[in-house]
Amino acid sequence: MATGEDKPRVGVDDWVASVQDRREQRSGLAGLARRVDDVVPAWARLALFAVVAASLPLWMDRGDLFAYGIFTLVYVLLGLGLNVVVGYAGLLDLGYVALFGFGAYSYALLSSEHYGIHWPSAVSIPLVVVATALLGLLLGLPSRRLLGDYLAIVTLFFGQAFVVFVNAANPTVRGKGLTGGPNGIADIDPNDLFGYELTTRRQQYWFILAIVLLVLVGLHFLSESRTGRAWRALREDPLAAEAMSMPVNRLKLKAFALGAGIAGLTGCVFAAVLTAVTSGNFALPILITIYAIVVLGGIGSLTGVVVGAIVINVSFQFLAPENPQNNARILFYLVIVLLLMLSMRPLWRLAVVLAGTVAFGLAAHVLAEAISPSWTAGAVVEGGRFAGLISDWVIIPSGHDRFANGAYIALIVAILAVTRIRGVWRTLSLVPTVYLAAVVWETSFVEQPAVARWILFGALLVFLMTVRPQGLLGTPRVEIV
Amino acid sequence: MHLPLAFNAELFIQLLVNGITLGSLYALIALGYSMVYGILKLLNFAHGDVYMIGAFTGYGVLTLLGGPLSPSIAIAPLIVLMFLAAMVAAGLLGVVIERFAYRPLRESPRIAPLISALGVSFFLQNSALLLFGAQFRSYDSFVLGSKNPEFFEPGPLTDALFVVKNVNVQLIQVIVLSTTVALMVALTALIAKTAIGKAMRATSYDREAAAMMGIDTDRVIATTFFIGSVLAGAAGVMFGLLFSQVFHFMGFLAGLKGFTAAVVGGIGSIPGAMLGGLLVGLAESMAGGYLGGRWSDLTVFGILILVLLVRPSGLLGTRAIHKV
Amino acid sequence: MTEQAFFELRDVSKSFGGLSVVDRLTLHVDEGEIVSLIGPNGAGKTTVFNLVTGIYRPASGEIRFRGRNVAGLPPHKITQLGIARTFQTLRLFLNMSVKENVMAAAYGHTRSTMVEAVFRLPRARREEREIAELAEEKLAFFGPRLAGYRHDQQAYNLSYANRRRLEIARAMATNPSLLLLDEPAAGMNPAETHELTELIGRLRTDGGYTVLVIEHDMHVVEGISDRVIALDHGVKIAEGSFDEVATDDRVVEAYLGRQGPG
Repeated sequence: MATGEDKPRVGVDDWVASVQDRREQRSGLAGLARRVDDVVPAWARLALFAVVAASLPLWMDRGDLFAYGIFTLVYVLLGLGLNVVVGYAGLLDLGYVALFGFGAYSYALLSSEHYGIHWPSAVSIPLVVVATALLGLLLGLPSRRLLGDYLAIVTLFFGQAFVVFVNAANPTVRGKGLTGGPNGIADIDPNDLFGYELTTRRQQYWFILAIVLLVLVGLHFLSESRTGRAWRALREDPLAAEAMSMPVNRLKLKAFALGAGIAGLTGCVFAAVLTAVTSGNFALPILITIYAIVVLGGIGSLTGVVVGAIVINVSFQFLAPENPQNNARILFYLVIVLLLMLSMRPLWRLAVVLAGTVAFGLAAHVLAEAISPSWTAGAVVEGGRFAGLISDWVIIPSGHDRFANGAYIALIVAILAVTRIRGVWRTLSLVPTVYLAAVVWETSFVEQPAVARWILFGALLVFLMTVRPQGLLGTPRVEIV
Repeated sequence: MHLPLAFNAELFIQLLVNGITLGSLYALIALGYSMVYGILKLLNFAHGDVYMIGAFTGYGVLTLLGGPLSPSIAIAPLIVLMFLAAMVAAGLLGVVIERFAYRPLRESPRIAPLISALGVSFFLQNSALLLFGAQFRSYDSFVLGSKNPEFFEPGPLTDALFVVKNVNVQLIQVIVLSTTVALMVALTALIAKTAIGKAMRATSYDREAAAMMGIDTDRVIATTFFIGSVLAGAAGVMFGLLFSQVFHFMGFLAGLKGFTAAVVGGIGSIPGAMLGGLLVGLAESMAGGYLGGRWSDLTVFGILILVLLVRPSGLLGTRAIHKV
Repeated sequence: MTEQAFFELRDVSKSFGGLSVVDRLTLHVDEGEIVSLIGPNGAGKTTVFNLVTGIYRPASGEIRFRGRNVAGLPPHKITQLGIARTFQTLRLFLNMSVKENVMAAAYGHTRSTMVEAVFRLPRARREEREIAELAEEKLAFFGPRLAGYRHDQQAYNLSYANRRRLEIARAMATNPSLLLLDEPAAGMNPAETHELTELIGRLRTDGGYTVLVIEHDMHVVEGISDRVIALDHGVKIAEGSFDEVATDDRVVEAYLGRQGPG
């Protein structure tokens, strides 16, 4: 994790000076993923994804297919749409999730019991997609005059205004609230293929998968077209793009409209699969999730969006409150070990840290028990097979209310400190940090998985930006100012 | 002129008073946005959450010193202590955020620090949720310092300071307004007169040139975050005292409105932040009073979008000329 | 007014905050000419380019290109009419490949829509082929400098001199008839400068472009110019052949300052 401090700064061309960074970009696991991505041709990647994804329903049960399959695909679609706006055209759109919501609500109004309108999908979906694209165009209008950050804030306001409108304003149309207020709209029709209703999870899954594949192929072609190149050019330097015959404002609006159209399309299938929509489905956390997906995979990369959506949604579902906490726990510890593996070389250091952590934990546990048995009297939440191991290793007190909060704050401080320490001391300080992470998991996170999930998301975004801003599969970008 | 509602001067003046109080709070938040944007061209989305942490710190001090019903020290030093603690805590938090979430990204593409800021904001919100729970915490400023809190007799903060007809002005409103003015004056003096103020101005004009002139820009930026966050911390305590409720999500909307104030007034301009804050506060108060509470947020957002479309540099901002 | 110049500025003025940068400037360029614009730093040369290409809007005056007033049109429209420029400060699309940089500039004279691109309809495929050929052709103009493996390199990998060349290639891909080159030799060594002088000549003979160039290097100016125009404080102070302008008292004064009396 190279920070820029000990590099030569003056008298050396920035690009030459950063050669070490670029070498590092290509090493390690993430570098390997990138190289694989570079070597395997696009159609082969698509075919691989299509085959694996299409076979999912054959061995997954309904619940898992819904949580892991359908949700991942929905996130892929959302990520693809956002990628057009943010990745291709470089426009920071923070109102994106409202367009998704607009699509879902529009579909709900056109095909549900709410007003008793039941238009078939072949009519309502195209209509909604076009309407959302137009709304996206409207949202993009300020982009003609506003530079990046102002655009971000205006679109964020739009997103917020949407939630307020749907939730609180809820104007009365034809005798009832248009959006149903906090209750949302229920009893939404399933999507249908020219009259044939897609009611089972398998049918829905395959339907969405087909859409995802079509969108992927279309976007791939588009990004290799004059429009795609013009988007990238305007992302690099809008003024130069304008001077090189590209109508920058029109291109921005096109990106907004296309991204919005994809969001609207996603809204249609999402509303139909869920059979009900409420404003909570389209609030800030979902926006953050979509950004995390696009950013994790690598801004601008289609494969990256797919990978990002899979990684994020699978960990998301693991951390869901309904899921047995033991799965989430395994994931949590695995990720810690993985992170250590990625950042520690030579590997014997990793062994030292892991062994040290185990020893440290046992010692701390003995010490805590010696002070007062109440310090280790707490029960492991859903420990499963590991309950015994954990309760002998992690300090889980019973009765000491402030302990969990204290451990959490201590963990934050410890992690921040570790990033500032170098060399042997870092290796040493990792030991109590990793142990603290385990303590925090067992005393706080496991009790509130939903909150823990968002905390980890926020931390992930910051971590990713500071360590690998181009994401897993993105290309490191150079900006000479 | 025919108004749909019979025009009621007392209601109008009451809304005006409330709007000005609210506005000074937004102005304080706006300053933090404005200063950071001026120096780093960074939208610090986490700023609203720094304000939230400030409010919680004030609540923590209040609880540690016996709680609102039976404070262990006199009410005046208690409030001063709450302000000081919240300002210091928020200031330090701002510096830590800058150090760990933004500084490593100085040379990255511009989108990176924005996403990092979103992450920090989200992290802080949910950390507060984890630590303090989802329920509202109350400063109970209504009864703070009251002689008979158990009978809900109003304390000195909210007992009407003076009532003219039906318009009542509370001590707490006076405190909020005067504290804001004092902080603004101090800030203006700091930026105009002191060495660090000059360094801040130089850095915001041209960071690289300032660094070559021997200014430690890292320190200047950290100081900017500290000052901006201190103001947000103060605003957090003010909110707690005014509205008696503190919760993990309060920073988001307040941050949006503070940012609106900064943009409406002209980002980078201190009098602009004050003016913008007042406008946003008044708009919210008036819309809430005349149109109903559910429209007040939408009105504020509408104003922002209008101002941005008509005058992108804000009311008191100057348009920058870029050399091609 | 019956005779139409190929390209001309008539009484064009522009000021920034009260400071007059270009003041009632009139000049013309005939088809097939190579004209140099010289003058000390701050004379307003780059501002003239920015006015011509629509980045700034002139306060008054006309900018006529092939008989049409282009003042006030958006930059991309002006480029589509046939005026392309390079940037003194180098504004390449750094994170795109060399070839893509050039291909992107073909946007203005291609027509296939997003829908055609998504479904790979015939016109989109044909245009893609044509754009790729066009890019290769324009890059080939620079010989081995921008050939072969360099096509797929990111623009940020290029040397300074090559970035200047790529700027020219990119401008050429917009199919202009008038090329505006802003200090094309800045930062080049003597050998590269010499090569560039030759290249600008070939832009006219092989490429058929009319060229208006801002240049500080007087060897380049001498080597290429049919005509030289000198600016100072936004005002034209001399015009004519290189020798005439180079010996003009006002030009010497503008560069060296006023000589003492006697």
